[in-house]
Amino acid sequence: MLIYRGLSRISRISKKTSFGRRWLPSHPLLSGASHSAAAAAADSSVKDTDSQEQLDPFSLVADELSILAKRLRSMVVAEVPKLASAAEYFFKMGVEGKRFRPTVLLLMATALNVRVPEPLHDGVEDALATELRTRQQCIAEITEMIHVASLLHDDVLDDADTRRGIGSLNFVMGNKLAVLAGDFLLSRACVALASLKNTEVVTLLATVVEHLVTGETMQMTTSSDQRCSMDYYMQKTYYKTASLISNSCKAIALLAGQTAEVAILAFDYGKNLGLAYQLIDDVLDFTGTSASLGKGSLSDIRHGIITAPILFAMEEFPQLRTVVEQGFEDSSNVDIALEYLGKSRGIQKTRELAVKHANLAAAAIDSLPENNDEDVTKSRRALLDLTHRVITRNK
Amino acid sequence: MLIYRGLSRISRISKKTSFGRRWLPSHPLLSGASHSAAAAAADSSVKVLGCREAYSWSLPALHGIRHQIHHQSSSVIEEQLDPFSLVADELSILAKRLRSMVVAEVPKLASAAEYFFKMGVEGKRFRPTVLLLMATALNVRVPEPLHDGVEDALATELRTRQQCIAEITEMIHVASLLHDDVLDDADTRRGIGSLNFVMGNKLAVLAGDFLLSRACVALASLKNTEVVTLLATVVEHLVTGETMQMTTSSDQRCSMDYYMQKTYYKTASLISNSCKAIALLAGQTAEVAILAFDYGKNLGLAYQLIDDVLDFTGTSASLGKGSLSDIRHGIITAPILFAMEEFPQLRTVVEQGFEDSSNVDIALEYLGKSRGIQKTRELAVKHANLAAAAIDSLPENNDEDVTKSRRALLDLTHRVITRNK
Repeated sequence: MLIYRGLSRISRISKKTSFGRRWLPSHPLLSGASHSAAAAAADSSVKDTDSQEQLDPFSLVADELSILAKRLRSMVVAEVPKLASAAEYFFKMGVEGKRFRPTVLLLMATALNVRVPEPLHDGVEDALATELRTRQQCIAEITEMIHVASLLHDDVLDDADTRRGIGSLNFVMGNKLAVLAGDFLLSRACVALASLKNTEVVTLLATVVEHLVTGETMQMTTSSDQRCSMDYYMQKTYYKTASLISNSCKAIALLAGQTAEVAILAFDYGKNLGLAYQLIDDVLDFTGTSASLGKGSLSDIRHGIITAPILFAMEEFPQLRTVVEQGFEDSSNVDIALEYLGKSRGIQKTRELAVKHANLAAAAIDSLPENNDEDVTKSRRALLDLTHRVITRNK
Repeated sequence: MLIYRGLSRISRISKKTSFGRRWLPSHPLLSGASHSAAAAAADSSVKVLGCREAYSWSLPALHGIRHQIHHQSSSVIEEQLDPFSLVADELSILAKRLRSMVVAEVPKLASAAEYFFKMGVEGKRFRPTVLLLMATALNVRVPEPLHDGVEDALATELRTRQQCIAEITEMIHVASLLHDDVLDDADTRRGIGSLNFVMGNKLAVLAGDFLLSRACVALASLKNTEVVTLLATVVEHLVTGETMQMTTSSDQRCSMDYYMQKTYYKTASLISNSCKAIALLAGQTAEVAILAFDYGKNLGLAYQLIDDVLDFTGTSASLGKGSLSDIRHGIITAPILFAMEEFPQLRTVVEQGFEDSSNVDIALEYLGKSRGIQKTRELAVKHANLAAAAIDSLPENNDEDVTKSRRALLDLTHRVITRNK
């Protein structure tokens, strides 16, 4: 799991570029603190396009994230108290999850900043840039609502007891309310989407909901052949995990008025990052924080979910397929599968595939149109950094 | 329950106006049959009264149907209109399109999503009927066209968009049914095993989500933000209404205001907001949009109030012959609420709940002594009249089809309160 550093603030460098771009002190999202940070930063001498600072991608957007979180909580306020507590359940302070997706989206928004021509009036330019930023933040909020809605419904399906370290909503409040709360979030997401007045974006994110459903259904209703197919698995993984982040990255690009080519690059980044993330997730389910097998939670295989390492192992050891087809209610089958997995190169191959996707994601960032703006460069470096973290994490 | 007459055909009047508007033979939905209908129509003698138009929106409804066209010059003849027949053919096209819109990649999801759209299981199709009638009733008069082709295409495009509203409305409605059935552990719905009974809660939740996402995509394609917002709000209302029903405090359960608010959310919001959406797509003014909204809202409320009565009376006039399913589920509806106003002691019974069926009998006794049923009917009539008034307030329009549709909408306000099943 990617380490989320909380609301730590790091000093930021602000520069006036030759185009006059600078902090947006009138930005509604900025608190007073950034004023002083900007002032302090202005004192430090900066000539550092050479120095590679250790960027923590999460810190770059931490403040903005906390504003988003507040707004998100206000967006899911409901009239009926029970519905309100249900909808807010996963947006409470401390339970927001890793906020990985919003981080990526906010970084992408900065990374895709179109260079703004010298303004006639600073006020005019700022207002437009602010408006755009707000709309892009809205994408991040919508993405979270869709994500949480799918978690709520998935938990109904899986009879999950815990999620994010607390009782899953349906465990605590019952299936009924979990389904309703998920619907409520979806409807709020739709209203927010409509407010963006961009049909393509609405279609993109509505399609994501359909993909989430399709992916979950694929997982639930596989035939034996499908369960043992790497293609089917990757398709399902795209639907369940990568579609949301890829399509919302694309939406960010579209809102920024970027070309179709750039929008596709944003999409590719999100897609490959998401796939890499999931593949490592699969590995960690077996290895946990150690390098050895069987130390992970093994929850996938115990639920009969066949992931990439096992699929690779089956290619080397066809006899493993018989075990898979028997199912894993019997835990001795789990041990047998682990044995084959250990003898195979399944774990390594999965890591290699993850690296391949991470590299594709990085390549997408490198292919973005040249932009020397400091913030843009930093954000792109942060996005590259994420492609490393995704594959080097061990929890 | 309103009687759905199936695909019965009634004869229609078609006329060529001085504006040259005529059948739309190139409409994608038309089969070859309509060509012959158009040819036949061209022969009919035309008497134009003033600036009437024979707007042929109904051409899509002629798909595959032979029509008798006969000459009528009188608008005095009050035909017995069956509102459902007016739109029956269009409805079957919608049903086909709806079935194709919910085709899914994964077979299990496909059968789940299609479950309630199968032939024969489409329900009363009350909502789409209202919406199609409203679409015609709100036809804006189109100025003399430069080229017939251009004008026809625009009218067709509008009609298609309005049909899309009807499809979206059905998808939202069925999605909420699927999710409600998960909640209520309902065994049957529409006379067949409810989906969750047959396939499990999991798939019912997913299928509902799938339909919602398809509805969102369809909504987006209309490229009208206000319409998207209206219908997304409907989803929120459906959820809120269901939650209100699930989570009431004792005071709320005994409150008529709370009950009407919940009823609006659960039943009337969908039809009222989709009527409004129809008006907005037609380019109508805000005032007209509000009238359309009011019609839908009051029609929906009237419908639900009579539904409440029928749950007690069934097809007879006597109490206790209905299915009594509301009260058995502990859902307190208008008749009981009115009875409680007359007999406060009934509230104690209500608070005890109705798992004990002797409490059901006691409540029925109070209800019988009270004017609860009558007051509920009176309230339904009041809302039906409000709906009718909304139609009467629509801007004057002498077009034949417009007038017929408005009469049909008025007719529905009668049927809603006179039905006995």
